Amino acid sequence: MSFIDNIQAGLSLISNVESFAALAGGIVIGVIGGAIPGMSATMAVALTLPFTFAMSPITGILLLLGVYKGGIFGGSIPAILIKTPGTPASSATVLDGYPMAEKGQAGKALGMALWASCTADLISNLALIFFAGWLASFALSFGPPEFFTLILFSLTIIAGVSGNSLLRGALSALLGLLLATIGLDLVYGTNRFTFENPNMMGGLNFIAVLIGLFAIPEILSMVWNPKENEGKARKLGGDWVTFSEYMRCFKSIVRGSFIGVFLGSIPGIGAAPSAFLSYSEARRRSPNKDNFGKGEIEGVAASEAGNNGVAGATLIPLLALGVPGDVITAIIIGAFMIHGLQPGPMMFVLNVDIIYGLFMGLIVSSVFLFLFGSVAIRGFKFVADVPRGVLFPAVLVLCVYGVFAVNNNIFDVGVMFAMGIVGFIMMRNDIPAAPFLIAFIIGPLLEDNFRQAMLMSGSSPTILFRGPITWFFWALTIITVVAIIRAGMRAAKKPVASVND
Amino acid sequence: MRDNRAQAIMGIATIAASLFLIFIAIPRWVASPSNVSNIILSPLFWPYALALVTMLIGLGMVAMSRRAMPSATGDDEDDEVIATGGYKRLSIMGVIMILYVLALPWLGMVWASMLAFVSVSFLVRTTHPKATVISAIIIPLVLYAFFAHVAGVGIPQGELVRLP
Repeated sequence: MSFIDNIQAGLSLISNVESFAALAGGIVIGVIGGAIPGMSATMAVALTLPFTFAMSPITGILLLLGVYKGGIFGGSIPAILIKTPGTPASSATVLDGYPMAEKGQAGKALGMALWASCTADLISNLALIFFAGWLASFALSFGPPEFFTLILFSLTIIAGVSGNSLLRGALSALLGLLLATIGLDLVYGTNRFTFENPNMMGGLNFIAVLIGLFAIPEILSMVWNPKENEGKARKLGGDWVTFSEYMRCFKSIVRGSFIGVFLGSIPGIGAAPSAFLSYSEARRRSPNKDNFGKGEIEGVAASEAGNNGVAGATLIPLLALGVPGDVITAIIIGAFMIHGLQPGPMMFVLNVDIIYGLFMGLIVSSVFLFLFGSVAIRGFKFVADVPRGVLFPAVLVLCVYGVFAVNNNIFDVGVMFAMGIVGFIMMRNDIPAAPFLIAFIIGPLLEDNFRQAMLMSGSSPTILFRGPITWFFWALTIITVVAIIRAGMRAAKKPVASVND
Repeated sequence: MRDNRAQAIMGIATIAASLFLIFIAIPRWVASPSNVSNIILSPLFWPYALALVTMLIGLGMVAMSRRAMPSATGDDEDDEVIATGGYKRLSIMGVIMILYVLALPWLGMVWASMLAFVSVSFLVRTTHPKATVISAIIIPLVLYAFFAHVAGVGIPQGELVRLP
């Protein structure tokens, strides 16, 4: 099928009211979820997932993608108005957004955040459309050894950059891999850590683990310190962003978008580092560099372009290779699996209509984001006023219903609470949860490819170094480990006081 | 300093956990067919490999905690602000979670959720008691309506009061 045929197939799949309604609804849910301090885009996507079970695959996945995109933008609203990033990705937006709000220019900052987000989102979606198919066609030649080294590299980089320490990140990833061994053995079908409990023979439920790790710890944090995250919202002010201001920041927005696309397409980096890199590049090149940190609109534009530029690009490794680039795409891979789809190069052959349907939906999502984002900015005070003592118990109840709905099994609810306690302990000890979840999801894939490679070679490990692709991924893995260790050692040598400064 | 100590404790706990896996958990709870001659293809190989790498990570944590330089300020006081009554509230929350799970088959998901909602809300001393009670009644009912009647999920009804 040609490119045009694929686009037509995709369009025919999403040209219905449900798909557009799901996308629009997803963006509204995402903006609200991202804008509520204490919630996050990740939590919003995780809590929406159970509602997609009854939908068709394309509708359900479009809903989640809408939540993802809306959530990333929504995080900038509290970052600017109450100096509390709604998502970690919006941390860089605080640097100039809040000083602008203090000057009575919150409306202008939020307007620029929206314009920059939509521009970056569009660029990121186009990058996804152009690169995912190319990468997938390249990945069709991968065998088990190539996939094993690719997944190993992805896990290494995710473990290395997710937290402040490679060792804690690696520990988190290993815990995820160990948890993934629960269930029946992939080759022999024998029991592994099932304790003769039939509920555990299929392994732990992915959604129970996911919601346990990302939603319950937030509830426990609120129980631990109910007064945290309470802030006073600044007024929007009369100023609104003008087209000339947008054009003045356009270079920084495009640069930030490309930084987002580049970093987003590498598994594990995520939106927050991209936003900070985009911000620092904009400050380095701007004629107003002295004004950065004091309420410079270009700073808001650059950081928002950086974090939204990641949104489409993180789907490149997900769709083309079947490897989730961050936690949200790990949740979305779960949605694919629930609907019987396996992202990866073969999906471009077997389900090309769904792939192109998603591409078309993503392009439309940038327009929806612009429309609903404008409304959300004005409606923020209603969202910020939701009492936390009502919000978090509601999230708890939603988690229980959602997790139960996966398999109609109360055991899964227990697993969710247990994982919530694990997640809270990890949070308190600075152990990042992202490597845990991603390792838990791709752990069986890693083991499966390893054992298939060993079966192919008669247990000779040399097959893991059989050609340029495996050498390439081994080299990347080694370079990543060395770079992270060196960065960690440099940071350890710096006195803590200077780091805090 | 405090971070180094925490890292050392975490490292020791990791080593202990990996030893537990290697000597107790894997031999006892991972079954392998007796005719698998090659260890690499055995169901035991992957858990053992992961346990060994976990031990290396633990050793690395202990080593790094000894190598890391003390902080310039040497002051631990600003490391952590313990929330007043945090442990007590967490313990009560733990009890609520256990009771919630146990109550699901007997009381039903809707009624158990209403009670859990109110309990958690009052545990964190909600400043909006009326909104809490109204939400505690409406939210579980709306979720029940969606999951039971739209998504077709068999929500547990319990043994006391059944909903349509």
